[in-house]
Amino acid sequence: MDRSTLSYADRVHDRPVGPCRLLTLEMPVSGFVSWRGSFRTHPELGAHDDLVQRLMVGMLDKGTATHDRFELAALLEECGAQLSLSSDGLYVDVSGQALTDDLPTVLSAGADMLQRSSFPEDEYPKVQAQALADVQRSMQNTSSHASRALMQRLFSVDHPNYSRPFEDELQGLQQVTREQAQAYHQDHVTPHAFTLVVAGDLSHDAVESAVRDAFGAWSGTAPAPTHATEATACAPGTATVPMADRDNIDVRMGHALTMRRDDDDYLPLYLGNYILGGNFSARLMATVRDELGLTYGIRSGLSGISTEYDGSWTIGVTLSSEALQHGLDATRQVVRDFVEGGVTEEELDAKKTTITGSYKVGLATTKRVAQSLLTNAERGFPVSYLDEFPERIRAVTLNEVNNAIQTHLDPDALHTAMAGSVPEEAEEAAA
Amino acid sequence: MSTAVSPSPVSVDGFSFVQESGGIQQYELEANGLQVLLYPIDAAPVTSVMITYHVGSRNEQTGHTGATHMLEHLMFKGTDRFHKEHGTSIFDVLQRVGAEVNASTWTDRTNYYEMLPREHVGMALDIEADRMRNARLAPDDVESERTVILNEFDRGQNEPTRRLFDAVWSAAYVAHPYHHPTIGWRSDIETMQPEDLRHFYDTFYWPNNATLSLIGSVDVEADLQAVAEHFGTIDAAPHDIPEVTTREPEQRGQRRVNVHQDGELGAILSSYKVPHGRSEAADALDVLARILASGKSSRLYRRCTDKELTTDVFAFNFRMRDPSLFSLFAFLTPSSTHDDVEAALEEEIERIQQEGVTEDEVARAQRQLVAKEAYGRDGPYRIASQLNEAIAVGDWTLYTEYLDRIRAVTPDAVQQVAQAHLHTTQNTIGWYVPEA
Repeated sequence: MDRSTLSYADRVHDRPVGPCRLLTLEMPVSGFVSWRGSFRTHPELGAHDDLVQRLMVGMLDKGTATHDRFELAALLEECGAQLSLSSDGLYVDVSGQALTDDLPTVLSAGADMLQRSSFPEDEYPKVQAQALADVQRSMQNTSSHASRALMQRLFSVDHPNYSRPFEDELQGLQQVTREQAQAYHQDHVTPHAFTLVVAGDLSHDAVESAVRDAFGAWSGTAPAPTHATEATACAPGTATVPMADRDNIDVRMGHALTMRRDDDDYLPLYLGNYILGGNFSARLMATVRDELGLTYGIRSGLSGISTEYDGSWTIGVTLSSEALQHGLDATRQVVRDFVEGGVTEEELDAKKTTITGSYKVGLATTKRVAQSLLTNAERGFPVSYLDEFPERIRAVTLNEVNNAIQTHLDPDALHTAMAGSVPEEAEEAAA
Repeated sequence: MSTAVSPSPVSVDGFSFVQESGGIQQYELEANGLQVLLYPIDAAPVTSVMITYHVGSRNEQTGHTGATHMLEHLMFKGTDRFHKEHGTSIFDVLQRVGAEVNASTWTDRTNYYEMLPREHVGMALDIEADRMRNARLAPDDVESERTVILNEFDRGQNEPTRRLFDAVWSAAYVAHPYHHPTIGWRSDIETMQPEDLRHFYDTFYWPNNATLSLIGSVDVEADLQAVAEHFGTIDAAPHDIPEVTTREPEQRGQRRVNVHQDGELGAILSSYKVPHGRSEAADALDVLARILASGKSSRLYRRCTDKELTTDVFAFNFRMRDPSLFSLFAFLTPSSTHDDVEAALEEEIERIQQEGVTEDEVARAQRQLVAKEAYGRDGPYRIASQLNEAIAVGDWTLYTEYLDRIRAVTPDAVQQVAQAHLHTTQNTIGWYVPEA
């Protein structure tokens, strides 16, 4: 039987295992599995809990009640397994790959880190220094500066899509103590909404057994969420981050979107935006790069959209300093034409086949399948949504797309953020 | 569960069977010498179609650096059949069916690939065959793409680590074309003429200078017939494909470069001349790279990152067609100095030269590489990208025989390559020094 023709709903085993919702999918690869998981922590973003969470996560592999940091590392490295624990807004994420036979060992190591981390005193200054260095390294990057500057204009500090200024982040990280990180672990690291997806060469029962052994006794509930759900109401404007020695300027334009991932307008707007800037043959690339030769890369996207809080519509473009003004003007013109004129039936048909085709191509790896199943679960959608997605895309009408564009996108409401060696005349024009 | 399907070689008119290794069959299209690799895998109904031209920045000459990369861009501007004028631009046609499409250029090769639903394989073959000899390379397209590439160049120059990488390779190679960056020098990009690119294209873009790979959902017989249909009418090159004859002179002493750029934290790139990627020494160097810097058990993690000298340390053995560089990248912490980190890197190299490595370290590195190889088979694109690099090095069976080669590496072999090649006299070291 060609398993690939069966639906995900038929093939995915979805059941509770202890405190975990476990989804497993057998895929035709040989001898390995990939996994993606998450649980909710609900950091109090307005109180800078996101920084505490980052340092807490950094401490998880530095020692547990029974293993020091090198013993923990050896458990994974002896078998070539990859295990990553990372802070992701309202969640902590778990991801990795292992040879199938090593999965129980790796899950056990991960569970040990999450549930029995000992927060060794000697390691905390190192973790803190590493976090500070990571921030400093990002400060060299024009893209990071531009993205952050835009998000600061659209969202408040207690919103999940906010990105704080680098200087505030450095200061905040320096102020967090080991005791705060450990207390945060105590209160927030629980199997709240814990979902784990494992895909690859596997036996469903064997994975279930390994997950039960590792996480079966884990308990607790994270505090109630406190984050903002709505974007900041703010007049459009421009933020410029001057950086020396950076002749390529990263530009971000965008405005907030008051829509959610489960709104009826989402798929029509997703399709509409794809026509504007979703791929190489979209309008922005076709005009600003291919026709005018002004940029190496330009795209637009619906960012930070969830079922719980506002996201944004963003356009990103890189421009050499001598092409900055021309590039900004051309980008704005393409966007304005797109919103005012709408899209055509031909464009819509082309992007429908692009999206449904690339959906099939994109789900050819265990990593991507595991991530798609996890994201789908985090949104609260049934597994069958993944099967229905292509048909839902095909069912969207031209009218729905153009209505969604008219309703949600406004070129006059776009904020602009630029980072790099911005020429003085461009700064003055923006001011 | 076994996923690779290994059918017997088939007989298709116009093709000679060359060899089979690790489930991959190699055929030659007799009409023009095109090499064809077929790797059927029982997985998703998706196929990677990739054509690798045996030309990279090592084939470029002074004044025309970046020609390979610029030509790669121009190849997407189309042919008479596939062109935006007719609504059939290459991206439009391929992305319309959901294909993931791109290309890349590196020192030893240029590759174009499409990962797409099985039923559209013929379309990808049609496009690749057409643009092999019928690319337009129109002057106005060259002009518009020139500024695109200059922006790509500027993006790279924004990154201190890119500048450091370029500076070290330029200092390490004084004669061999690995001296110049693949994207080219800015002045060459600015002045490249359409006729320069046409000449480069007419020199290297021929079926007997290319390898076509189909990976994933593959029907060997039907796909060979489709390859013959699309590529069979193309002539072989009417000339010999030029060889690179320049050999890098022996390095007789350490070379140093400093890169100053606005930034926050320093970095070091320390590189040693090592043999080409087909050599047994390259296998031992791959294992050595793991022992030095893979994971928290590695020597440099313990010596540098755990001691707060670095935030990260990486070791890479660049397996290339010609003698290459074994490289250590170290990213400094705010409190460490370049001198301290450089001394630590040298001490660890010397320790391995004098004391060797343990059986346990080699065994762990081998297990890690076995696992990495398994993960590398996660979908046809990842397989294609690894196969592509083996083709570039000059022997695609490096991909299929890699694990056997790694398993054959001994602790003595690791110590020997460290002693033989990681000499100070063979070292080029670069410092990125941030300026506030």
